[in-house]
Amino acid sequence: MKKKKNPSTDIADDSQGIRWLRFGYVRPMKLWLAALLLTFGCFLPSFGEEETEARLLASKNVLNQYLVEGKDLTVEYKIYNVGSKVAFNVLLNDNSFPDSSFSIISGNLKVEWERIAPSSNVTHAVILKPLKSGYFNFTSAEISYLTAEDSRERILGYTSFPGEGGIVPQREFDRRFSPHVLDWFVFAFMTLPSLGIPFLLWYSSKSKYDQSKTKKN
Amino acid sequence: MAATGKVLVILGLCLLPILTSADTCLAPQIKSQTYSTPEAIVSTETVLIAEFTLTCKNSLKNINLYADVGGRLIPATKTSEVNKYQISITDDHKKLPAGRYDIRVFDEEGFALLRKAQRSGESTDSIKPLFVLNLNHSGIWNGPIVQTEFVAALAAILIWWLAYTARSKLLA
Repeated sequence: MKKKKNPSTDIADDSQGIRWLRFGYVRPMKLWLAALLLTFGCFLPSFGEEETEARLLASKNVLNQYLVEGKDLTVEYKIYNVGSKVAFNVLLNDNSFPDSSFSIISGNLKVEWERIAPSSNVTHAVILKPLKSGYFNFTSAEISYLTAEDSRERILGYTSFPGEGGIVPQREFDRRFSPHVLDWFVFAFMTLPSLGIPFLLWYSSKSKYDQSKTKKN
Repeated sequence: MAATGKVLVILGLCLLPILTSADTCLAPQIKSQTYSTPEAIVSTETVLIAEFTLTCKNSLKNINLYADVGGRLIPATKTSEVNKYQISITDDHKKLPAGRYDIRVFDEEGFALLRKAQRSGESTDSIKPLFVLNLNHSGIWNGPIVQTEFVAALAAILIWWLAYTARSKLLA
C-alpha cells in the first residue's frame, strides 16, 4: 500500500525543492539556482525596480491520505497573486484527468476568476473518483491570465504537480481497513458448537439437580 | 416644446429603476449541489463545495458573485458552463466542524457594502444577500472508535470468565 505524502509536509519539505513553478519558466529551477536568483532578487529593489505586474503562483495538491479506487479523490488548487497588481480573467484548466480513469463527483476542472487582487489567494477544489487502480502520474494544470484588463496577451503558466501516486484497488483497501463485521460473526457462529454443546449439557444436568434439590426441600 | 421636455423627464424617471437594476439579478433562481468531505481517509482537510446554476429574470449572464461563509469572503468561481458557479472552502477538520453552513451569495454591489461594513467593524448581518445556499456537513468519519478485534476479544474474555466462575462454584 502506498501512502500519499501529506500535502502540508510536502510544502514544508525543502529537501526535494518546493514544487512551485514561477511562471514563465519552462522547467522547474534547480534549488541552488533559485536560491541564487532569490539572493540576487533581494538587491533588485535597491536598483529601483519593483514588481509592477500581477504575478500568479499556483499549487495543485492531492489531499488524500489514501488513494483508493472508487473512493473520493480530493484535488486542491491554490492560486496566489504575489505581484502588486490585479490579475484579470484568470483561467485554470486541468486536462490531466482522463475520462477513462476518473469521473467527476463534484467541482469543475475548467474554471475562471474575473480578478485576483494583489497579495490575495483563491482556493479551488475538485472531487474525482478513480475508476482504475494502479500508479497514476498527477501532472500540473494550466493557468493563464491577463496583467491588464485590456491586455491581449495572455500569460501562460502551470501549477505545481503532485507527482506519482498509487491508487489502491478497492478490494485490497477493504481487506486492510474494513471492520470485518461479517467475518467475526461467521467466526462466532463456528465457535458456537464447541462452546454451546458443553454448556447445554451442563445446563440440563444443573437444572435437573436444582429440581431434585427443591423437591427434597 | 416644454411639454415634450417634461414627457422626456417623466419617461426618464420611469426608466431609471430599470436602468439602474441592469446589473442586479432580479428574482434569482438557484439550482445547487453540495459536497462535503465524508471521511478522513479521503482528505487531510475538510473540503466544502457548493455548485450552483443561477437564473435571473432579466437574463443576466456571468455576473461576478461573492460568497460570505461565516466571515470568510470568497469570490465565486465561474465554470465553463454559462451561469454555473462553484464555491470551494478548504480548512482543517477542526475549523470546519459538522453542521449547517449558510453560504450568503452577494453580487458586486452587495459585496462592496459587505466590505465596507467589515472595514468599519459593523455587523454584516443586515446586508441582504442575493440568495443563501445551505450546506450540510455531516462531519468527518475517522474510522471506527473501537476495533472489531477488540470487541471480539472482550466477548471471548467475558465468556471465559462466566464459564470459569460457574466451574469454581461447582468445585466449591
